[in-house]
Amino acid sequence: MRVVVEKLTKRFGGVVALDDVSMEVPSSSKVGIIGPNGSGKTTLFNVITGYYTPEKGRVLIENGNELTDITGWNPNEIAKLGVVRTFQIPRLIPSLTVLENLLIFYNYNKCASIEYTLRKKWLECEKKAVSKATSILRDFGLLEISHKKPSELSAGHIKLVETLRGLMADARVFLLDEPFAGIESWMARRLIEAIKTINSEKKATFIVIEHRISELLEGVDYIYVLHNGKLLAEGKPSEVINDERVVKAYLGG
Amino acid sequence: MIDIMSFLITLGTYIGIYLILSLTLTLETSSGITNFGKTAFYGLGAYVGAVIGTYLPLAMYGGGFSPFDVNGIQMLLDAGRSNPIMDIGVFALSVIVGFGVVAALGLALTYPIHRVGSALVGFTLLSLGEVLRLIYLNTSALGESKGFMGIPSPFAWVKDPKLAGLLYLLVVLAFVGITLLTVSRILNSPLGRILRGIRDDELVALYAGWPTVLMKARILALSSGLTGVAGVLWAYYFTSINPNMFTPSLTFNIWAMIIIGGLGSIAGGIVGTVLLASVDYAMRFVVPYIGVTFITPDYLRWIVVGLLMIIVLIKKPEGLIPEKPVVVTLGEYGGGDSK
Repeated sequence: MRVVVEKLTKRFGGVVALDDVSMEVPSSSKVGIIGPNGSGKTTLFNVITGYYTPEKGRVLIENGNELTDITGWNPNEIAKLGVVRTFQIPRLIPSLTVLENLLIFYNYNKCASIEYTLRKKWLECEKKAVSKATSILRDFGLLEISHKKPSELSAGHIKLVETLRGLMADARVFLLDEPFAGIESWMARRLIEAIKTINSEKKATFIVIEHRISELLEGVDYIYVLHNGKLLAEGKPSEVINDERVVKAYLGG
Repeated sequence: MIDIMSFLITLGTYIGIYLILSLTLTLETSSGITNFGKTAFYGLGAYVGAVIGTYLPLAMYGGGFSPFDVNGIQMLLDAGRSNPIMDIGVFALSVIVGFGVVAALGLALTYPIHRVGSALVGFTLLSLGEVLRLIYLNTSALGESKGFMGIPSPFAWVKDPKLAGLLYLLVVLAFVGITLLTVSRILNSPLGRILRGIRDDELVALYAGWPTVLMKARILALSSGLTGVAGVLWAYYFTSINPNMFTPSLTFNIWAMIIIGGLGSIAGGIVGTVLLASVDYAMRFVVPYIGVTFITPDYLRWIVVGLLMIIVLIKKPEGLIPEKPVVVTLGEYGGGDSK
């Protein structure tokens, strides 16, 4: 699914968190977003997913064969179009098991209505949901932790489960907010493999915010650099990291 | 000598009405609705029941009596004893209208609740209860501080008071059954799991595509409707109601029941309710025998409830029966359930 961001501006009082940012993310591509802390990366995700409404600009998403303007939509409506995000500080539902955390991302439709629930007419949906969740967990080698609560998991597993929720929702755009932060490198490798698999098999688009440049470079085919809310540079990973302005923004001086 | 049978019937009715309140509160807390306004919904249900139960028979019998003067109350008592069809009809109508009106209030409240944000839901509902109580207290058509008297029990025509009590207990238990079925079907289902998600992290549920505000609105409407029915049952059981029955302490009594039993657990809520409602009821008999005149039954009750709560929360922080994962039986699939 193609994602187009047009001249987005988002202010918080006097702070301009996003300043005229435009991006064009082609369908089934993997795009990285880098930039120092406070450069507006997470704000960009919050605007794309409908958590914030921008002062100016538009967000468009490919829906069927045409681009749909989703600016000002509610987060749940945008999620229904197939956009799923993860969080900088991972958010799994603490009282639910790993399996259940995937299940609540399944599209139950009417099976989750009060009417169907009181008449116990959800059994078929639940069977499909459980078998889908189980096969996802099996594919990514997580079957043995499926009955564990998030508090019993390692940071890496939590990040992986958070990403897999998107598969459960049949998402076609994954917005990952620092997926590699705070996890061991072997787990980061597993996550990169998962991203590559989902990208190639499901033709899903990935937009990834990351500070760990080495991991990011392996995973993505295009990079945008944000600095103080503005788009500083963009291009192929190899070009971007050698860009003088980018080095300066990161190292200062 | 206390008549054991009558005692059990009274206790059973009392516990039954409280069970409806605590079960619906369990449904609400499991859906992320912090309802500190149980009294508001319960009281409104009772007043709807009382208005229908008094004004309607008086209008039918004519004579232009008010439900607040002696002649009116006498007329209600006489009418109740002699007309079974009216007794039951008025009661049934009260249950239906009580459910509808209170459910509509729950649904309508979703808007202000959504506006103030989840942290302040409790306070909004708490103050609503007080606002309604003050309205009852200052409205002459609702009897002001005296409230309503002479609400005809649906079994007022039954000669034997014990049998009438037993029949009413059965009606209460039927509604407890309906409530239990409703609450357990919702909580032990995919919907129940999603509601738990909304309770723990509404933003994640929203990003999963669920219209969280709308879903909470529907749940609040349904559980408020059932709470309203509990109010109607109380009004027709006690046959007289007044505004001071519906103070915020009632709300916190129900909260104490489900906290001691185990938040989010249906079985826990039931155990907590039976325990506290029994303690509550026993206090009425015990306190006069202790002979301490400076402690009223009310205060002693709160001391005992407070102590129980501290002991339970030290020994079992999650309550007597903690919340369990949503177990969904899938029959032959996967060798059992999705636990």
